[in-house]
Amino acid sequence: MDFDDTREEAAWRAEVRAFLEQHRDDGTDRDTVWDTGTARTWQATLYDAGFVGVTWPVEAGGRGGTPMQQAIIDQEMSRLDLPPLINLIGIGMCGPTVIVHGSADQKQRYLKRLLRADDIWCQLFSEPAAGSDLAGLRTRAVRGGDSDNGGDNSHWLVNGQKVWTTRAHQSDYGILLTRTDPDVPKHRGLTMFVVDMKAPGVTVRPLRQMSGGADFNEVFFDDVVIPDAERLGDVGDGWRVALTTLMSERLSLGGGGTGIGPRAETVARHVAEHLGALSPDRQALVRQQLGKAYVAVLGARYTGYRQLSRISRGELPGPEASAGKLSGTRSARDLADLAVRVLGADARVAGGFWQELQAGLPGMAIAGGTDQVLRNIIGERVLGLPAEPRADKGVTFKESLAAERGTP
Amino acid sequence: MNFDLDQEHRDLADAARDFLSATASPAAARAMLDDGATVRPGRAELVKSGFATITIPEHAGGGGGSVLDLAVVAEQAGRLLAGPSLVTFARAAVLLAGDDRLADLAGGDRSVAVVDHDGPVLDAVGADTFLALRDGALVCGPGTVTAREPIDPTRGLGDVTLGDTEELVPDAAERWLHGERVGRTILAAEGLGAAARVLEIGVAYAKERYAFGRAIGSYQAVKHLLVDAYVEVEQLRSLVWWAAWAADHAPDELPLASAAAKAAAATTLEQAAEAVIQVHGGIGFTWEHDAHLYWRRSKVDRFLLGDDVSAYDEVARLAVTR
Repeated sequence: MDFDDTREEAAWRAEVRAFLEQHRDDGTDRDTVWDTGTARTWQATLYDAGFVGVTWPVEAGGRGGTPMQQAIIDQEMSRLDLPPLINLIGIGMCGPTVIVHGSADQKQRYLKRLLRADDIWCQLFSEPAAGSDLAGLRTRAVRGGDSDNGGDNSHWLVNGQKVWTTRAHQSDYGILLTRTDPDVPKHRGLTMFVVDMKAPGVTVRPLRQMSGGADFNEVFFDDVVIPDAERLGDVGDGWRVALTTLMSERLSLGGGGTGIGPRAETVARHVAEHLGALSPDRQALVRQQLGKAYVAVLGARYTGYRQLSRISRGELPGPEASAGKLSGTRSARDLADLAVRVLGADARVAGGFWQELQAGLPGMAIAGGTDQVLRNIIGERVLGLPAEPRADKGVTFKESLAAERGTP
Repeated sequence: MNFDLDQEHRDLADAARDFLSATASPAAARAMLDDGATVRPGRAELVKSGFATITIPEHAGGGGGSVLDLAVVAEQAGRLLAGPSLVTFARAAVLLAGDDRLADLAGGDRSVAVVDHDGPVLDAVGADTFLALRDGALVCGPGTVTAREPIDPTRGLGDVTLGDTEELVPDAAERWLHGERVGRTILAAEGLGAAARVLEIGVAYAKERYAFGRAIGSYQAVKHLLVDAYVEVEQLRSLVWWAAWAADHAPDELPLASAAAKAAAATTLEQAAEAVIQVHGGIGFTWEHDAHLYWRRSKVDRFLLGDDVSAYDEVARLAVTR
């Protein structure tokens, strides 16, 4: 047992660290980075240096590296408090899906530009009526437009609505999961496409979050034409394609070693600054709260190191990785609440760093898998408990919709 | 990074489980409550096996192993509710370092208990040699033990009145503290084993018990209770390994790691035992079911080597001064 890098890992870390420290001023100012121009340039700089998409195959524009190399980049970025890359969703989810299911032509056109943030990508999965139960989505794609036009199979016509789409307002392309056959069970009637976000009929409306920020959107599709050549995978095989996307997220992001929300050490320093102003009995209570959240963070951090060790040995992260997000979003909320509490008189008014942070955290426990969905995943796939009862098995999508409406 | 047990540790765990399970079990713990049976495997067998004396140097007759080695064994001991606690041996090995009595302990000629200031003493029952901190000095001597009515009899708690003591180390505050931290690490390892085992019992039951036509583990209300316990158990495992590694290799990290492990162990075992009782319904709170034996362990262990409140407080104090 040790916490040391292997010789190769240490050399890689040194290389990454040296580059980031030299160029950090291009990326440290978070306000600047949300300016998409600067953020694209920053990602391109990193790509040209060989630090974006390291786990991607060489022919896809990557360097055929290991998840451990990616994890080291993540750690070093986090150490310098550098913001995430603008095209993180493209790199982590859309690109890998194109790599596995795209045509040679699509790979040629899209992948390298994605890695350099020449194009920004978004993931168009969730819908108003399909969140955790993603396979219940309703956005329709009809071949050749409509049944009267059966002769033209070269394109699809898409109608429907997506929602919670991060960066859709800045995106050039998206991967779009649609329903192409409502007369089969819902997981089987789906098909995935690459959609041009600038195509006629695509309307993006930013959504304001409870924190006041606007990072995600609703996206409307009105008679949007998608060439059949932009299909990813077979017709009706969209669920399997989507699983590639979701699995890639876990892989590409490295996992392990970097936490969620504020760093516990930062909160502890903040608490230390305010502790002296509190009465002794309050101090004791604050220490209990800090101690509990801090232990939870340490527990998650060292559990992350165990996952990292498996990655370092070449194993793939499994469903147990969901535990890190589950406990991380909980302790992040606890730490932020404590950080605001010790502000005293200012705690009940907005405007401060901690108040803003606090308002962004409930959403983190929902995005990318709710607490309840994560518990189901761990319960069923790690502990081997039987699956939830479900009413939509063995019926077609149309039948399950009818059942929802109460019409048998 | 290689933050994992290696094959040697896995083999050690298997060997410890084989040895311990020959005599120790929840049934043996219940027999102690029922008719005053003695703790299993018991002091003599534990010493003879070599598992209890792993951290005692070879020249003193011990195994010359690491705290991590002992933690690996302690997890297995916790699963089986074995006794006396390996905490006692771990602390004695620290406190008696360089003293002839250590060889007596390793040879099975002495039965040691470590006397804290805060109430009935762990493994006082059956001990003949008591170590204590008095005015900053480490002292050793005989004592009289008054056994107390046990919640968890495997912990051998008793009030100790020290007899004539001899001063072993005059300025022993640091050594005492180090012994406590190693002890907290091993206590957390025993808590890890107990929590992991009781959780297994709960998960197995949730798969086989049917209600309303389905296995109860398919219902979120039951499933999520068990998952929350699982997440805590795995995080406790990480903290135990970290603390044990720190005890062996990174003394600067041991105060935080051992306090975190102690606090997490107290909370995790209590919550796991409680959850598993609830998952079982009526059978879960019967005398014949094993769940309450783990619950009893949790209700005692949370107070040993400082309670959970003081451990969380220590974590916070260390965090704000880092």
